[in-house]
Amino acid sequence: MGLPLSYSLRNVGARRGRTLMTAGVVALVVVACSLFLGLISSLKRTLVSTGDARNIVVMRKGSDNDGSSQLTLEAYQAIRFFDGIARDAQDQPLASPELVVQPFFRTREGGRENVLVRGVEPVALAVHDNVRIVEGRMLTPSSGEAIVGRGVLGRYAGASLGDDLEFGRARWHVVGIFDADGSSFESEVWVDVRELANDAKRPFPYSGVRIRVARPEQLEPLIRRIDDDPRFALEAERETEYYAKQSESANTLYVLVVGIAVLAGIGAGFGAANTMYAAVQARTAEIGTLRALGFSRGAILTSFQVEALAVAAIGFVLGALCSLALSACLRRLLGGIGFGAATFTVNVITLRVSAADLLFALLLALVIGTAGGFGPAWRAARLRPIEALRKA
Amino acid sequence: MDATPGAPLIQIRDVSRRYVRGVDEVHALERVSLDIPAGHFVGFMGPSGSGKSTLLNLVSGIDRPSEGDVIVAGQRLNDLSEDELARWRARHVGLIFQFFNLIPVLSARDNVALPLLLTKLDKAERVRRAETALRVVGLEDRLDHYPRTLSGGEQQRVAIARAIVTDPDLIVADEPTGDLDARNAEAILDLLRQLRQHFGKTVVMVTHDPRALRFVDDAYHLDKGVLLEGEEAARAQEAIRVSAGAAGARGPR
Amino acid sequence: MKYAGLVLANLGRNKLRTALTGGAIMLAVLLVCVLLTMPAGLDAFLNNIASNTRISVHNKAGLVYAMPYAFTRKVRQIDGVAAACAFVWFGGAFEEAGRVTFPNFAVEADQVGAVYPDYDVPAQQLADFQRYRDGAIVGRATMRRYGWKIGDRITLRSTVWPVNLDFRIVGEIPNDRSPLLWMNRDYLDEALKAQGRPAGLGIAGIVWVRAADPERVNAIMRTVDDLSRNSDSETASETEKSFFSNFFGSLKGFIAIILLVTGLVALCIVFIAANTASMGVRERAGELAILKAIGFGRRLLFATLLAEATVLSSVAGLAGVVSTIGITKVLHVFAGWNASLGPLGAFIVTSSVIVEGIFLSLFVGMLAGVVPAFGAARKPVVATLHEVF
Repeated sequence: MGLPLSYSLRNVGARRGRTLMTAGVVALVVVACSLFLGLISSLKRTLVSTGDARNIVVMRKGSDNDGSSQLTLEAYQAIRFFDGIARDAQDQPLASPELVVQPFFRTREGGRENVLVRGVEPVALAVHDNVRIVEGRMLTPSSGEAIVGRGVLGRYAGASLGDDLEFGRARWHVVGIFDADGSSFESEVWVDVRELANDAKRPFPYSGVRIRVARPEQLEPLIRRIDDDPRFALEAERETEYYAKQSESANTLYVLVVGIAVLAGIGAGFGAANTMYAAVQARTAEIGTLRALGFSRGAILTSFQVEALAVAAIGFVLGALCSLALSACLRRLLGGIGFGAATFTVNVITLRVSAADLLFALLLALVIGTAGGFGPAWRAARLRPIEALRKA
Repeated sequence: MDATPGAPLIQIRDVSRRYVRGVDEVHALERVSLDIPAGHFVGFMGPSGSGKSTLLNLVSGIDRPSEGDVIVAGQRLNDLSEDELARWRARHVGLIFQFFNLIPVLSARDNVALPLLLTKLDKAERVRRAETALRVVGLEDRLDHYPRTLSGGEQQRVAIARAIVTDPDLIVADEPTGDLDARNAEAILDLLRQLRQHFGKTVVMVTHDPRALRFVDDAYHLDKGVLLEGEEAARAQEAIRVSAGAAGARGPR
Repeated sequence: MKYAGLVLANLGRNKLRTALTGGAIMLAVLLVCVLLTMPAGLDAFLNNIASNTRISVHNKAGLVYAMPYAFTRKVRQIDGVAAACAFVWFGGAFEEAGRVTFPNFAVEADQVGAVYPDYDVPAQQLADFQRYRDGAIVGRATMRRYGWKIGDRITLRSTVWPVNLDFRIVGEIPNDRSPLLWMNRDYLDEALKAQGRPAGLGIAGIVWVRAADPERVNAIMRTVDDLSRNSDSETASETEKSFFSNFFGSLKGFIAIILLVTGLVALCIVFIAANTASMGVRERAGELAILKAIGFGRRLLFATLLAEATVLSSVAGLAGVVSTIGITKVLHVFAGWNASLGPLGAFIVTSSVIVEGIFLSLFVGMLAGVVPAFGAARKPVVATLHEVF
C-alpha cells in the first residue's frame, strides 16, 4: 500500500514554518554554492580559456610574455610568408604583428592600474576571430582611435564609446567596444600598432606576431621552422599554451578559490543535511503511527523522500533567485573584479552565475534533500511501530 | 518549616483555574476548596478533563490559579513570581510524572542528583545523597545505568528517588502508575506509602488507578472541574471499586 | 561550574549532530580566517616595508615607459634628497624555476644602501656589492626558498633583456619576507653593450629617492615633477606607501569580492548551524519543562543552553583557528612569491586574524544559542508540560 503523493505535498504545505526553515537552509547552500561556482567559472574563462588552438604566438627567444618581447620589422616581414599560414579572401596571410605596452590607466575611483594595451593592424580581428566588435566600429589606423574590451568599459576614466581615453603620452578616441567570450582579451585596449610604438618610443616596432595556421597539421612544422630560423632568434608556441603559462602564477589563486569553494560546499552541505535530518527525526512518532496503520516501510520511505525532495526543490528555487539577484548586485556595485596577472596588468573578471553553475547547485540541493531525508526516515521506518510511537 | 502530622500542610481556598484554548474559555477548576494535612497520602481521582491534573499543578506550584489562594506550608503561592516559584519548587516539592521523564543523557545517579545542583551542597555530598535516595527506592545496583537501559518500573523508581533527594515537604505524583504493569504499579504505590510511613512525607497523587484506593489515606473525586462531596463522592468511589472488581475479574493486564 | 556535567552530557546527546554542527562552524571560521590573512598580508607589507621618507619617481605614463638614466643625477642634486637610486626591472628567471619567481632589479650599487638603510644590509656586504660587478644581494625569503647562501653562484635568464647573467651572492637582506634580488646596473649595461647595443641600458624604470627629512618629502616630489615637465618623460612622484598601495590597488577589488562571497558563505553556514541548534532545543522542549518543574529557574536554563552552544562553537572556533595556522603553513610552502597574489600570498596569520576568528565563532555560538534558549526558557512551564503530562 502506498501513501498518496498528496500526503507528502500536503505535509510540505502544512508544516509551513519548518518547511520554510529547511528550504531556507537549502536556499542558503544554493546561494553560497552558485556564487562560488560563478566566481570560479568566471576566473576560469579569463585565465584558462584565452587563446585559440589554431593560433601560434611568436616572440623573441627568452622572453616569456608579450610585454617583454621585441621583434624587428624584418623578422615580421620574413615570417609572414612562411608556409602553412592561413590566408584571407584577398590572399593576405593571417599574421598579426602586435605591440604590447602596459601604461597606467586612471580608474573611475581615482586609483591607478596597469592595463594591457595592444597595438594591432586590421588583420588582428581575423586572427583573433573570437574578438567581435559589439558596439561602434573597428579603429582606423593612424587616426588616434582605440577600441576597448568589455571588461575595460566603464572601469577607467574615458573608457566608453565616443569618449577620450588618456594613457601613454596621448589621448585616444574610443570608437568601438569588443567582447571575446569572457577571455582576457576583454581586459585589453587595442590601438594602431604604429601609433602605439611612437607613443611608447619603442626601438622595435613589435613585441610579437600572432599567426593563424591554415591546417592543424601545419602547426608543429611551422613552430619548428620559426624556432630553428637562425636569422632572428625567435621562439613560437601554441597560443593556448602561451596563455596557460601566463595564468600559471594565477593558478595558485584559482586553486585557492576552488579550495575555499570546496570547503564551503562541504560545510554548507553537511549543515543542510543536518537540518534535514533533524526535521525528519522530529517526526519519528508520526512515522510510528503510519507504520501502526499498516503502511509499509517502502511506502513511508518513498513518501518522506518525495517530501524532502520537494523541500529541497523549493529551497533551490529560492536560492537560485537570490544568487542571480546577488550576483547582479555585486556586478553593479563592483563592476568587474580586477586583479593583477603575471604581466602586472589588470585582468577584469565579471562575476556571472551561469546556467551550468545553477545546474550544479540544483544537483547539490537534491543530494542534500536525499541524504538528509533518507537517514532518519530509514531509521524511523525500521523501528517497531510501538517504539516509534513511544518516542513522542 | 515543621510538618506536624495532622496540621494542614496544603490549604486550597475557593480556587478556580480558567484558560483560553483557541476561542473557547476552558473552566478547568471551579471554586475548589480543601485542606490536606501534613503526613497524609492523598489521591485526586476522576475522569480525564475532570481538573485533577490542574489541581495537582496548582498544589505543586507549576501553575497559578485564576482566582482563590493556594497556600502550601504557610506560603501563599500566588505571591511568587515565575522564578521564585521555580526556587520554591526546588526546595519544597518533589515531582513524579507518568512517563518518568528522566533526562536521557544522564545516568541514574546524575538524574537523581539533578535537583541538588540547585542547592549549595558540594559534589561529594550531592553524590552521597543521590546514592542514598536510590538505595531507598531499591536501585543501589543501578547507579550508573542510563534511563534507556532500565525497565519502566525501575525508571519510575529513579524518578521517585529524584523527587525525594532534596528531602521535600511535599511529593507530587501525576499518574505515577499510568505507564506501568500491575506488579510494578503496586510496587510504586507501596513505595509512595512507605515514604509517608517511614519519612513522614506528604504525598499528593493524581491517578485513575483503582488500586490506589487501597494505599491512600484520603481520596478526593473531581468531575468537570468541581470537587465532589458527600453522597456524590461516595458514589464515585463506589463506581471505581466496582470497575476495579470487574477489571480484576478479567485478570491482570 | 557544577553544571558543566549537564552541559557536556547534553552535547553528547546526539554526537553526530554535535559533530556536524561543530564541523560546520569550524569550516566557517577556517574559511574566513584564511581569507582574512590575505588583506592582513597586504597591510603588513604596506606598514612594514614602506618608509615615510622614501619616494618613488617613475614615468607618468606607466612603469614600462622608462626615464632617461641621466634624470637620476638631476634628482640626486635636488635639495633635501639624501640618496637616489635608479632601478631597472631585469625579469630574471632562475633556471630551475623556468619563470620569474621573485622580483629582481638592476640597481646602482653605490647608491642602493643609502636609499634603503632600513633594510639593514651589513656595510661589508654593501661594499662587496660595489666591488664585484657580478655581485647580487638577495632577500632572505628567496635565499631560504632555494637554499642559497652567501658566496653561491647563480644564473638568471632575463625575460626582458636578451642576456643570461651569472651572479655571485655577496649579501642578504635580513628580512624573512623579502623576496628581492638586487644586481649591479653596470654589469647589465656592459652585457647589453657586448650584445651589440652601443647605447647600453640607458634608462631608469623607477628612481627610488630617500628624503633627508620626512618634512621635505612633498617639496621634493613637487620639484622632481617640475623638473621633468614638458620633457619626453614627464614623471609622477609619490610616497612609497602610495606607490605600493597603487601597485596592489587592483588586488583590493579582488579581496573585496572574495571576502564578500566568503562572508556570505560563512553567514549561510552560521544560519544553518543556528537553525539546527534551535531544532535540537525544540525537540527537548519536554525535558526542559521537566527541569523547570524540578525548580531550575529561567535564567539558569537559559545559561546552560547558551553554555552548550558556546562551548561547542568556541571549541569549533579554536579548531578553525588552529587549522588556519596549519593551512597557511602549507600555503607558504606551495605558494612562495606569486606575481598575481603579491603580498596577499604572504598568508600572514596576525593576532587580529585570530581574534576575529574567535570572535566569529563566539558570535555563531550566541546566535545559535540565544534564540532557541530564549524561546525555551521563556515559555511558561505549564505550556510545555502539557506535552509531558
